[in-house]
Amino acid sequence: MNSSLTRAALVEAPDDLDELIEFFHARRWSDGLPIVPPTRERVARMLSGTTKKPDDVIAKIAPGFGEATVERIAINAVMAGCRVDYLPLLIAASQAMSDPQFNLQGIQATTNPVAVWLLVNGPIAEQLGVNGGMNCLGQGTVANATLGRALRLIMQNIGGALPGDMDRATHGQPGKFSFCCAENEAQSPWEALHIERGFTREQSTVTVIAAAGTHNLNTHADNADELIKVIADTMAFPASNDYWIGGEPWLVLGPQHAAILAAGGLGKFDVKRRLWEESKLSAGRLCAKELSRTQSARGAALGTITSETMLTVAQKAEDIGIVVAGGPGTHTVYVASFGDARAVTKVIGLV
Amino acid sequence: MQVFDPTAPVAGATQNLRRTVGDLRGKVIGFIDNTKPNFNLLVDDLAVLLAERYGVKSVIKQVKRSVATPAAANVLDDLATQCDLVITGSGD
Repeated sequence: MNSSLTRAALVEAPDDLDELIEFFHARRWSDGLPIVPPTRERVARMLSGTTKKPDDVIAKIAPGFGEATVERIAINAVMAGCRVDYLPLLIAASQAMSDPQFNLQGIQATTNPVAVWLLVNGPIAEQLGVNGGMNCLGQGTVANATLGRALRLIMQNIGGALPGDMDRATHGQPGKFSFCCAENEAQSPWEALHIERGFTREQSTVTVIAAAGTHNLNTHADNADELIKVIADTMAFPASNDYWIGGEPWLVLGPQHAAILAAGGLGKFDVKRRLWEESKLSAGRLCAKELSRTQSARGAALGTITSETMLTVAQKAEDIGIVVAGGPGTHTVYVASFGDARAVTKVIGLV
Repeated sequence: MQVFDPTAPVAGATQNLRRTVGDLRGKVIGFIDNTKPNFNLLVDDLAVLLAERYGVKSVIKQVKRSVATPAAANVLDDLATQCDLVITGSGD
């Protein structure tokens, strides 16, 4: 066993695969699904996916603030079933989620059902086979399934957020097993998310987003005004962290919906501005305690909040996130946010 | 077979108080309101009790922007400068 705090320890485990899987479950080292054994050989192979040293500390992961070394990220990547070339993306994602503006400590320890959504942009999406098309938030793609799973294992094993202990989620959500997709850049009428956030088309990035869930918006609206109205109406519900905090909600526009909005002459920011204006919610729809919390959270920006106040879903229109993803169909996904978190984008180093 | 332990040692497992306060008489006590309903009312009552029963000099109350975010750095700096002891709100 290695005595260094930054190097992972080797432990004796059963040779039989079934027993080995139970060994991991018993120690709460898994997410409830069988894992790929992180043997010395498999971890060494995963580490060949980067030139970084195994004991390089990439981040400290809240709430336990365990050190996410390259080696520990690789171990959890092996367990999740990741391929070797996925490792740099997980290194970047670990860096991103430890940025203070992401508020990982709040995300990990809250009663809210917050999953960390990995959104991949740039050439690496195609190189790794990250799905941004049909069923991109569903099953069936190795990269989407295992990258999100690896990040969850990192959050649980390195960050120490075990369900029922430091992870205080009332229900959680299926996205806490894995929540990962690419943007469908080829079918977007607008600039991709990473370009909007200051990166170049040739750069590859991963964005971490504090996602409270996914809500299907199935609408056959066939013009921009109608579509904006339907989406905005759906965004406005009282038991939403976004309204009382002033959050950062996201829309995953299906390519058909994005095309309708673009054909209506709307750029991405126009869509944000229209949704921000048209999704206002009367504070009178909140319960008394929520109204009190809204006053604490947004009073400095909005002044005295009464039941007559019209609350915006985000502090400013730019805070509404928009990406285009998915396949054919009359669907868009609304991703309400944790509220107290801001997405962080990092470049994926290719070495 | 040998496999790697995927966990990391939890940081700060051993924590030591920077100093102890002992008697509360004449001390300045700070509270960080986590914005959960009624915390402010609880602190108002505690302030009276701390003054009457324990002779604290004063109570300073600060409020976080919302429950799931850390207190702002300037709030923490102010409390650290002014208080002998700070109590943070947690939960409902």
